[in-house]
Amino acid sequence: MSMQTKERPVPNGVILEMTGDLTYANREQFKTAVETIRQKGCRHLILNMAEVRFVDSSGLGLLALIAQNFKLSQGKVSMLKPQSYVREIMSLVNIQKLIPIYDNEQDALAGHQRAA
Amino acid sequence: MSTPATTSCNGVEVGVRTVLVVDDEPTARVALAARLKRLGYRVIEAGDGKAGLEALRRERPDLTILDWMMPEMDGPSFCEQVRRDPELLSSQVLMMTSHDQPEQIAEGLARGADDFLSKAASKYEIMARVQAGMRTATLIRRLEDVTEEIRRKQEVLERELQSAARYVESLLPVPGTLLPGVQMVHSYRPSLGLGGDLFNVVPWSEDVLGLYLLDASGHGVSSALRSASFSTFLRRDNLLHHVGSNDPGAILTEANKQFPLTEDGNYFTIIFARLDLRARTLAYATAGHNGAFLHRRSGEVCWLARPNLPLGFDQPTIYLTEELPVRSGDRLYLLSDGLYEVPASNGELWGEDRLKQTVHTFGHRPLAEVVSDTIAEAVRWQGHEHFPDDVALMGVEITI
Repeated sequence: MSMQTKERPVPNGVILEMTGDLTYANREQFKTAVETIRQKGCRHLILNMAEVRFVDSSGLGLLALIAQNFKLSQGKVSMLKPQSYVREIMSLVNIQKLIPIYDNEQDALAGHQRAA
Repeated sequence: MSTPATTSCNGVEVGVRTVLVVDDEPTARVALAARLKRLGYRVIEAGDGKAGLEALRRERPDLTILDWMMPEMDGPSFCEQVRRDPELLSSQVLMMTSHDQPEQIAEGLARGADDFLSKAASKYEIMARVQAGMRTATLIRRLEDVTEEIRRKQEVLERELQSAARYVESLLPVPGTLLPGVQMVHSYRPSLGLGGDLFNVVPWSEDVLGLYLLDASGHGVSSALRSASFSTFLRRDNLLHHVGSNDPGAILTEANKQFPLTEDGNYFTIIFARLDLRARTLAYATAGHNGAFLHRRSGEVCWLARPNLPLGFDQPTIYLTEELPVRSGDRLYLLSDGLYEVPASNGELWGEDRLKQTVHTFGHRPLAEVVSDTIAEAVRWQGHEHFPDDVALMGVEITI
């Protein structure tokens, strides 16, 4: 399944609404969408994963890569509402250490303020 | 239109074009041949269908002009034979007829002709139709040449992939006795002929050895190359030089610094274990990998895994060593997740629990049987031999 992304500005950041699978086949599309947001100077990217059914090993590497890139430009990446299967993949590799996971938008935004 | 017999193809002049004329009626045949020769074409003549097919095979003309009405083999039957023959089927055939009824034209086209030419056609029409046929013939030839070139290049690439795959397999350890009292068996099934999964044994001293299984994310050549480079890092001499110890956590902590994410976001997951026969301990560390379990002599099966970042995700991460006591009869299995993440036809994955149950059920049958039968069980679950991802399974048994 391909991936659609839609940006939504929020105070101090951008929420990227993602629909589809975060996999090897969709990596360029996702990378481009995220890189465009980062180059606009966004400090906090919140990935809304509620509509993402599957993340493969390539998708996982991409998440780590964008977390590193945002860190280099003094920003950060958070994850919102991953589905249970995706959440399981994330916890197996302890991704929370790089990308905090939140269950609602308010917490994700507040998390950024605490971090700032 | 002064030199219709030669055409320029990407600036390269193509030599004189050949036309085969097949007609049983000598006067008409000779007249058409003479006209074509005046237009600058080389012309071959054949007096019936059989001789025409022979000439077509022998001379491979650019265009064949064929009479419909001929004894024994008529024009449409000739076309049908051409289209059935893999060597001839791309030939351009122009059929000549004196009665050009639409039904007849439709039948001729359906039976394999490319175009029609009325016997009453003017000199200009003949010239135009022959040129149109030549244009098509040129395009088809070019397409055939390019296809052949792609096929040849593909062959070269596949040979190189096979040679790379043989190299990767040459890096794998030799099954058998690793140390007095330690036996090893393995099975390796790369998904694309060239895998990103790699495992090996690192002999450390007379009673200590390292064992690892790593998985490079991504596919094909680049992940196989990265795996091979990582396996060089994991050699004993290099570990002594760069890490200064055989502590699994220290090794992964250093590897994490040496192997950052690639610019495409590719990375390694790995489990590294150290078996110490004198101390009777198994120490291990993992990075994003949950592919190892210990099958105790007592029957208990326990996974050696803790949630941990893959290598390259976060530079300051410190990987910690876990240690377990081991006894004679205990078996350690290192495996790639491709072994249990195999879907059945309904999409359901085989899963860690079924794998664990399978090994438990096999009990302490000989190690080689457990390794091959476990893979056979995964094959049975997915219903076919071809694994979607690399599959590696290495079993190590302590026998003293």
